[in-house]
Amino acid sequence: MYGPHVALDEMSLKINSGATALLGPNGAGKSTMIKTLLGLIQLTSGDGEVLGYNIRTEGDSIRQRIGYMPEYDCLTPEMNAIHQVKYCGELTGMNTKVAMQRAHEVLEYVGLRDQRYREISSFSTGMMQATKLACAIIHDPELLICDEPTNGLDTKARGFMLDTLFQVVKQGNRSILMCSHLMDDVEKICDRIVMIHKGKLIAQGKIEDLKAIDREIEIWVWGGASRMEEALNDAGLTPRRTGRVMRVVRQDESTYDLVLELAAKAKVQIRRMEDYEPSLEDLFLVIMDRLGYGVKSSSDLLQSQPPTTSVAPAPSRPGGNF
Amino acid sequence: MVDEIPGVDDLFADDDLASSQPISVEPAPITEPVQEPQVEVHEIESQAPVESPPQSLVARQADAEFLGEKGGVVTGRGRMEAAFGTGDGDEIATAQVAQVSSEVAAGTIFHQVYRPWRGKLNSRWVRNWSILRYHIYGLFSKGHKPWPMMTKLVVFGVLILSIGDLLMLTVGAATGVEAIERLAGISRGNLYGHVLSFWFRNACTYPIVTALIIGGMISEDRRNGTSALYFSRPVNRRDYAAMKFLSVAIILSVVVLFTLSAYYLGAILVGGEGWSYVMDTGLLFLGAFLAGALLVFTYTSIGLALSSVSSGKFFPAVAFIGLILGTKMVAFLIWALFDSSAIYLISPYDNLAHVGQWMLGLNHTYEHPASWSLVMLITMNAISLYILSARVSSLEVTRE
Repeated sequence: MYGPHVALDEMSLKINSGATALLGPNGAGKSTMIKTLLGLIQLTSGDGEVLGYNIRTEGDSIRQRIGYMPEYDCLTPEMNAIHQVKYCGELTGMNTKVAMQRAHEVLEYVGLRDQRYREISSFSTGMMQATKLACAIIHDPELLICDEPTNGLDTKARGFMLDTLFQVVKQGNRSILMCSHLMDDVEKICDRIVMIHKGKLIAQGKIEDLKAIDREIEIWVWGGASRMEEALNDAGLTPRRTGRVMRVVRQDESTYDLVLELAAKAKVQIRRMEDYEPSLEDLFLVIMDRLGYGVKSSSDLLQSQPPTTSVAPAPSRPGGNF
Repeated sequence: MVDEIPGVDDLFADDDLASSQPISVEPAPITEPVQEPQVEVHEIESQAPVESPPQSLVARQADAEFLGEKGGVVTGRGRMEAAFGTGDGDEIATAQVAQVSSEVAAGTIFHQVYRPWRGKLNSRWVRNWSILRYHIYGLFSKGHKPWPMMTKLVVFGVLILSIGDLLMLTVGAATGVEAIERLAGISRGNLYGHVLSFWFRNACTYPIVTALIIGGMISEDRRNGTSALYFSRPVNRRDYAAMKFLSVAIILSVVVLFTLSAYYLGAILVGGEGWSYVMDTGLLFLGAFLAGALLVFTYTSIGLALSSVSSGKFFPAVAFIGLILGTKMVAFLIWALFDSSAIYLISPYDNLAHVGQWMLGLNHTYEHPASWSLVMLITMNAISLYILSARVSSLEVTRE
């Protein structure tokens, strides 16, 4: 709790090893959750464990095994990268010599081998992000918490950062909890998500499993799309339509036959009908739609207050995101 | 008609280059190899490809690895052997320059290998020591806190100035001028003056050194976000504040207490004094030392409290000097009007001076009891430490 404000409420979740994304709009409670996981906030009720350590009483032990990469600048501009990373290792409890040796290793790993003696103030955003990552992984943590790791990066640097994080999971066999507003980034790295909103858990699990919650059929019709939409509505399938492309929720195998029957009755040609493979973006939109927020894209996550309207957003192109 | 149209293969059917000399990326040898290499296979790895056929050369490069990086292995030995040869000189050698391996050609800049670390992390006190060392070593060593050059120079300059009385004593002993020795020798007044004299020590040097040191001590962590580096690691806020406090206190102690001790010990050594002298003056020195320690503690706590409420280093520095000198000035003006020394209780310096006079047994220059000044000092320190504690607690790990 922050004064009268309840930051996290009735949240019960279990995060398995691997790469997990923490999603939610600004003010949803992501930062509070990170601080809770780091053992920095005393819970008013409930309990929890991180890596087997109690978050109420063993904060130091947790933070010794976690690497945290903050979203915003956290580096001393006047220091060299190598000394900054070494100091981070020392703060975790490493010996000076070991920390220096390890700093060389991790800076090489994040692609700053040739820049490690440069002053951080002269770094680009990508290099600063890489330095922050090096600071976070110097002690080879079991769990790496990354807050917007690709924030402010260009395409090339972003790809490199994502590859680097991916290798930490795959090659280093470490776990990552990643906060990001970029669904593409999340999909590339993570296989699980935890979505919170207004301090409450609204979705968690494997991305693939969550995508299967609302499997949709995409139908491309020709000649009488409005009639087809009406017919689908009458049949209770509540299509989402843009032009001649519409999607209906696949209830079971008979949904295909039902759609074909309705098309025949409405005298509409069906040019194409297929299972729609939703992206994480779609999943987010569906979940937010169910909560009554008419967000059009994940960029709306950046808004502190969600829009009050709940109008179904129109797809930008046929077959595109609804 | 259709059959007469030549196909693509037909177009190149007569092309000698295409049929007999396939384009190759391998370096062409200067001359054709005439004999098999006469060196061991395992030795070839670091040598120039003397007579090796191109295919095997590529295979060896792909296998070579240095610090996790494959390909392009050209060692000094390889160059020497390529230049001067290792055999009888009859073999036909090909000089090799840094070659690009197949993986580099594919766009890979370096091999990204995650190396696990299975070392042991040390205890809390080692972490605290690293914070302390980071701040103190930064004054004279690279790789630690990047103190501004101005701060380093001022600390060094004040340190030199603070041993001025010792230098004077040494000059007196060296020249044999008794007046100088008496003037700079150990006495209540000189010991008090070393720590608590106003015009030189507490108007010009100690507050300025303190202001420069405390300026960015905590405020820069807030401004740069470096507090996240501390609190996302197993460093608790109490340790963080304590180590910051200790760092400032140690630097000030070097300037105030170390020079006081050097002055006292120097006086004994220079004057060739015996144990009786130490017995006579030991308590005076102890009193001055305690007064100095109180000064260091008070300046540190007030300074850090000011640093913790700011997000820049300019405000705390100016505010500290303003607080020390400003309260003294205000108290002086009011005292001149109303002739009551109790107003000096608002001045941290005057409280320190009053308590110092009491500790050294000097005549008090204030009319109110010394205990009032002591209580005020304790109160000021308590308020400062409370502000410091509250503000450090508010330092965020995530976004401020």
